[in-house]
Amino acid sequence: MSANPRFVSRRDFLFRAGEGISGLALAHMLQQEGLLASETACDAQGIVSPTAPREPHFKPRAKAVISLFMSGGVSHVDTFDHKPMLEKHHGQPLTGKGRVRVRQGFPGPLMRSPFKFQRYGECGKLVSELFPHMGAMVDDLAFVHSCKGRSNDHVLAHYEWNTGSVLMGHPSVGSWVTYGLGSENQSLPGFVVVYDHRGGPFSGPSNWSSGYLPATYQGTVFRSQGDPILDLRPPSELLSQEQQRARLDHLAQLNEEHAKQHPGSSELAARIASYELAYRMQGCAPEAVDISQESERTKALYGMDDPVTEPFGRQCLLARRLVERGVRFVQLYSGALRQQNIDTWDAHSNLIENHTLHAGEVDC
Amino acid sequence: MFRAALAVSAILALSATAAPVAAEATAPSYAKEIAPILEQRCVQCHGDKQQLSGLRVDSREALLQGGSRGPSLEPGNADASLLYRHVAGAAEPRMPFGSTLATEEIASLKRWIDAGAPWEVAAEAAPEDKVWWAFKNPQRHDPPAGEAHPIDAFLAARLSEEGVARAPRADPRTLVRRAYLDLVGLLPPPAVVAAFEKDPSKEAFARLVDELLDSPRYGERWGRHWLDAVRYADSSGYEHDYDQPHAWRYRDYVIRAFNEDKPYDRFVQEQLAGDEVENPSFDTLIATGMLRVGPRVLFREKDNPQYRYNYLDDMIATTGRVFLGLTVDCARCHDHKFDAISQMDYYRTMAVFFPYVRYDFPLADQESIQRHEEASAKINAQIEPLKQRIAKLQAPYKELAREKSLDKFPKEIQVAVRTPEDQRTEGQRLLAAQVQSLGVSGYAELISESDAELLAELNAQVAALEEQLPAPLPMAMGIRDGDYRFAPDGLGDEPQPGKGDRQDFSGIEGTWLPVSGYKPPEARFMPNADYRTLGDVVKPGVIEALTSKGAFSPASPEHRISSGRRLALARWITSPDNPLSARVMANRIWMHHFGQGIVRTASNFGSMGTHPTHPKLLDWLATEFVKSGWSIKAMHRLMMTSDSYQMASAHSDPAAAKADPDNALLWRYRQRRLEGEVIRDIILNASGNLNLEAGGPGFFPPIPDQVRESFPKGKWDMSDPGPVNWRRSVYAYAKRGLRYPLFEVFDQPNMNVTCEQRNTTTVPTQALTLLNNEFALRQAGAYAQRVAGMADDDAGRVRAAYSIALSREPTESEMDANLEFLRRQREYHQGDALKALTDLCDVILNLNEFLYVS
Repeated sequence: MSANPRFVSRRDFLFRAGEGISGLALAHMLQQEGLLASETACDAQGIVSPTAPREPHFKPRAKAVISLFMSGGVSHVDTFDHKPMLEKHHGQPLTGKGRVRVRQGFPGPLMRSPFKFQRYGECGKLVSELFPHMGAMVDDLAFVHSCKGRSNDHVLAHYEWNTGSVLMGHPSVGSWVTYGLGSENQSLPGFVVVYDHRGGPFSGPSNWSSGYLPATYQGTVFRSQGDPILDLRPPSELLSQEQQRARLDHLAQLNEEHAKQHPGSSELAARIASYELAYRMQGCAPEAVDISQESERTKALYGMDDPVTEPFGRQCLLARRLVERGVRFVQLYSGALRQQNIDTWDAHSNLIENHTLHAGEVDC
Repeated sequence: MFRAALAVSAILALSATAAPVAAEATAPSYAKEIAPILEQRCVQCHGDKQQLSGLRVDSREALLQGGSRGPSLEPGNADASLLYRHVAGAAEPRMPFGSTLATEEIASLKRWIDAGAPWEVAAEAAPEDKVWWAFKNPQRHDPPAGEAHPIDAFLAARLSEEGVARAPRADPRTLVRRAYLDLVGLLPPPAVVAAFEKDPSKEAFARLVDELLDSPRYGERWGRHWLDAVRYADSSGYEHDYDQPHAWRYRDYVIRAFNEDKPYDRFVQEQLAGDEVENPSFDTLIATGMLRVGPRVLFREKDNPQYRYNYLDDMIATTGRVFLGLTVDCARCHDHKFDAISQMDYYRTMAVFFPYVRYDFPLADQESIQRHEEASAKINAQIEPLKQRIAKLQAPYKELAREKSLDKFPKEIQVAVRTPEDQRTEGQRLLAAQVQSLGVSGYAELISESDAELLAELNAQVAALEEQLPAPLPMAMGIRDGDYRFAPDGLGDEPQPGKGDRQDFSGIEGTWLPVSGYKPPEARFMPNADYRTLGDVVKPGVIEALTSKGAFSPASPEHRISSGRRLALARWITSPDNPLSARVMANRIWMHHFGQGIVRTASNFGSMGTHPTHPKLLDWLATEFVKSGWSIKAMHRLMMTSDSYQMASAHSDPAAAKADPDNALLWRYRQRRLEGEVIRDIILNASGNLNLEAGGPGFFPPIPDQVRESFPKGKWDMSDPGPVNWRRSVYAYAKRGLRYPLFEVFDQPNMNVTCEQRNTTTVPTQALTLLNNEFALRQAGAYAQRVAGMADDDAGRVRAAYSIALSREPTESEMDANLEFLRRQREYHQGDALKALTDLCDVILNLNEFLYVS
């Protein structure tokens, strides 16, 4: 049915196997395939979730990815890429080979960073005063300064970073990772996105789109407060949780009767199972985002004791809780597309104000 | 897979030049080391397609002969060979342009030349006697004997080879439901089900199919399939995701075309060249919207010339995959890796589309347009002087505000701006220009009271006049030929000093929208798919390997404002000799009826696609399609009247399951989940709320704020949550940057590239949506209310609910379970029968049986 040949054929295979051999043998097989890493990956009928964890080709050194995306464009020369020549040529036009071409505004003269740099750590990395806390950790960080984008446009650059292409419509890296490796917890989405407290970033959901991969692998937006997932629960005025259980039980009963008329349809069985998973997700997801379970000390480590760093600290702590629970890929955004030059890192004419605010929020 | 494998057998050393013995021992192999370098890095500019500087590097003779700079190769002496000197940086310009070879590659070339440049020649590949199947014309075979219906005959022949029998006919209720969901995407009315159960004959089924094909709901269902293929959306995508306010006219054109059973060849011609066909009409012009509705940046386009090439690529990709089942777009940067599509083929196709310009046009006759223009001009003539007065009044205050705002800037900028222009340093000049380019704000507070009054009065006059402007004419969007170089500036295109990568077209003659004597702008080959490295002019054409399949002969139409290239392409595609077009469309129709194409990869008939499971059947269908006058409805009738279409899906046959576990040979009907759009439509169907208002601008189904805030760009006007947005899903506004969650979770395809076939996933978030989404719950309530009015007792209501949503009576055990459920729920709801019934209705809307076509 699906154009994704892998998980369907595997599921069909397992299901057919399930028809002929005992559940025990099946469980053994699954174990050999590493598919029982999570008890929820597969039910007794051998229906394997499309996001069941999969063995990579090489022994992995990492289990999960947390990606922090500073939306709007961090000025490298004002943060981690010290350019001493800017001091020397401050106020002069850029000269050299070719002509300066900009696509918007005017090419200004060169400008030295208004921020002071100092050396940190054993490696002596120069970091600007915007990031004193990160500066203290430079020996544990890897800096890649060779990266450049093919577009000068925010949105196209967002696409390129997330999908590898400046064109719209390709799967994001989180989708690929979940597609390739699955996720360790079937009661939570495998790829989670957490917004800035002010809202979504440039280009919105296209950043975590699964492109032409099945929708299963797209990022799911988690809100850091309240019910984290859209439609996780019914609107309370319409339906209580207890009543939902009653409905689910009745639904399962009727569905199973129907499935009997369609022997061998793994698809129907998978859909029945998906309702149980949904029910489990209703329990798991709120627990995962329940930061009140964390100690004050932990919260302080994430800067949650300071109103400036609290929102992003909350995002980071949430990311940790999610990967602890087996989520494969978490992407956090800093910067929201409301007032572009204020709420994102896109400092056109207000560099000092803008970067002081945003760096201050994420550096702790 | 059938492409002739490279046969490198006889290797012949041509070089007899004396070469140092020591070097010869380590001489790199031409075939292994040198040829790949030349082929990948050099021949694009110095090969058969073009010979920059008159040089070719694809034969030893050509290198010895060299180009305009002289011989390129001196065997035995790399340092004297231009080939080496230019790649090593010893001579300018360094080759290849824009990048350098790896050090090892340069070293290999040196050793190879020093060793005498031995040129081993691989034996000519055997002439390809096996042309790729899809490039050969369909062969019409008579259907095998033994079956009344040709489709059954072809399928049965393969089944009997495997010793598998076809499933029996589905029960009448399943059949009528299948026909409805498949052809119109709606639930069958209980009365129709009852009538068909009384006479479930084949003739009655054929009549039912005819009736459904006559319904305007048919185009809404099958038009949606087409909209998937042509990556339709109502917004532009990218950063701004602008509203495309006229896109819906193309959507309505598609729906109309299906309803009218527009012959497919004509359908293709109108979409590719509706402006160039004979007797163009508004309808055919709107059809070219197909080439406009892809993702577009629509911002600062003149400064980003690559955007236009990306749009051309979008047109080529969509045309190639949708109409031909070929991934022509893969050949943008290099020859196709697997199919017989050269990079030159890509640029020939690009040249076909290259003259295009965006064309928005009023849907009105010349007289009305003129009247409208005159009326507008009259009023604008009165507005203009008022606006000038306003500007004049504001000017001194703006200047004052600019002066004041300067104080906020750093000292050095203030100094720069205040320094007289002729005394500024170069850096100060740039700083001042930057500041002066900024807009002015905060001048309103500075305006004196009397001036403010005057301004208010003038603005009121302007507003009053603007109200008198005639209502805008209805507009549509499409493309036509013209000269993009003279297109007016668009958003963000305002010229500014120092800005831009804009190409310089001064000194060129041309018109954006020509009125006569049209000369299309020239398209050029791009060896690296980079607009900054242009090659030779390319003539429009089609894939060379298929040139014998129908003529490509562009002729400027009578009106002479067009090149006729797109029409020539469309005619070539729809020529009965084209081996692909009819097969591809017949296969698409088959795929939607049977759940899977005869070629599974419906948009890739190349060698990376799958082989047909039933090649003779596919060919028979393709020839039949052409014979029927390219009638899509004839194909529906043909397929749906077969026994194979009418087979049961609820059928178990262990032998068949063993022989053909994937049901590739179709021994039972393929049960499949409905699309999100259909699920939404049939929920509204069940609740009785479906609003069948057809056509027109899209409606905006309500989405929660938390979703909306994820992407606040572009347009999303929340419709009233009532009947306005209970229209069919095909009319929902399709926004690239923000999708309606219910559609998205049920695998709505990405709207940026053509969709071959939708994915069907099964994930818990779908369950959460159907269980908890406010839309679904409220419709369940309406469904319950409807059912409550149909019977007085629980049993009667259960029967009514089943007959509406599931087109059948409940079984005895289902009835018992449902009655028990109602009893418990009523107890819970303290006797509220309607609430209990709502719970049941909600469960029914979540049933697999409801969500699948069986």
